[in-house]
Amino acid sequence: MKTFDYLEPTTVGEACALLKQGRGEARVFAGGALMTILMKEGLLQPKTLINIKRISALKGIDFHPAQGLAIGALVTHHELETSKTVKEKLPILCAVEKEVANIRVRSMATIGGNLASGEPLTDLPQVFIALDARIRIASSSGERVMALEDLYIDYYQTSLAEDEIITQVIVPPAPERSGIEYIRFSSSSVVDKPCVGVAARISLGVEKACQTVRIVLGCVGPTPVRAKKAEAVVVGKPLDARLAEEAGSVASGECSPVSDLRGSEQYKRAIVGVLVRRALARAYEDASQS
Amino acid sequence: MKKGIRFRVNGVDTALEVESHLTLLQVVRERLSLTGAKFGCGIQVCGTCTLLLNGKPVSACSVLAVDADGSDVLTVEGLAKDGQLHPLQEAFMEVGALQCGYCTPGFLLTAKALLDENPHPSEEEIRSYLAGNFCRCGCYQEIVRAIQKVAGE
Repeated sequence: MKTFDYLEPTTVGEACALLKQGRGEARVFAGGALMTILMKEGLLQPKTLINIKRISALKGIDFHPAQGLAIGALVTHHELETSKTVKEKLPILCAVEKEVANIRVRSMATIGGNLASGEPLTDLPQVFIALDARIRIASSSGERVMALEDLYIDYYQTSLAEDEIITQVIVPPAPERSGIEYIRFSSSSVVDKPCVGVAARISLGVEKACQTVRIVLGCVGPTPVRAKKAEAVVVGKPLDARLAEEAGSVASGECSPVSDLRGSEQYKRAIVGVLVRRALARAYEDASQS
Repeated sequence: MKKGIRFRVNGVDTALEVESHLTLLQVVRERLSLTGAKFGCGIQVCGTCTLLLNGKPVSACSVLAVDADGSDVLTVEGLAKDGQLHPLQEAFMEVGALQCGYCTPGFLLTAKALLDENPHPSEEEIRSYLAGNFCRCGCYQEIVRAIQKVAGE
């Protein structure tokens, strides 16, 4: 690893100002789970590292009935996994977190870092996007809020500007009669990065018809992908086995997986089809029972 | 860039001047001569460099030493107290939960973190918490049994 200047701001404003001064040669450092690997491999050689872990405003998980769940950017995966508030309000997140990487990574890595890294082989973005999550972003000139879906541009590329930091993830309360399911498929060890990860959310309207549907495919393209054509297959109708099957087959054509050690392109497309079918069925069942 | 850090290592207040790019593993092994934690994969997969940072298991090969400023660090050398091995160490010996021993410090510390968090885990919970520690000698059954022994006491 090459040496670098190391700074520890204690406020978001200070951190953003330092990033601006760094003119692209400064990088935000939080948990460091991915950054240290990239730096050790020489893939990133920042001149300045700005450790934001001393900024207490970025910590903690809150729930407001109107706003939903607000997760601070510095919350670690393990904190999310074991949070009583999350277990009560949005247990799917605890279930997803149990399967992320290993306990050491979950203890170190942060939610903000996971989202800001643009790493495509990961789990949370799919789930958050299916829940219509938004992110709060601070910069040296102010603050903005945007849909998480709009963050991702390409492999490891996000729409964050040089002086911007994700400060919070906001998960709005789901409409009544909603169900969500995430299925992570690993083709080697359970602690490996996922081969495919599919999130599906269904919110019911009248007469058990699917009113809002989100199908989000992870690990099968440069960014998480909303399978909008597959969503359209289901919207407005009660879900049945045939419809779930059809949505799965449409979704498998809406992604762009690459062949690698976790499976061939063809294999991953087939897995997407199966997982979408299963996730939709479980989300629908969940929504019908709630 | 050099930076002064202060942290507690195995209960001892320690102050050091370190280069910003050094990892916690390098500093603990090379500056403090605590060589229980080993370098393995270097990418947070194998678990052989596990240390407890403020009670939580981390891959010390991927923690910057400067980032450990102000923390509490536990290495395998700090497990025994007053000449008495930790119950997990006793159980590992009794059950024979190791062959070459390279992974053992990481397993012991991860198991300690688990039991601190959840004193009576089920077998499934043990296996899931330890899924990120690799033992190439294949002592997994014995390791799980050793932890169950301590958890059951």
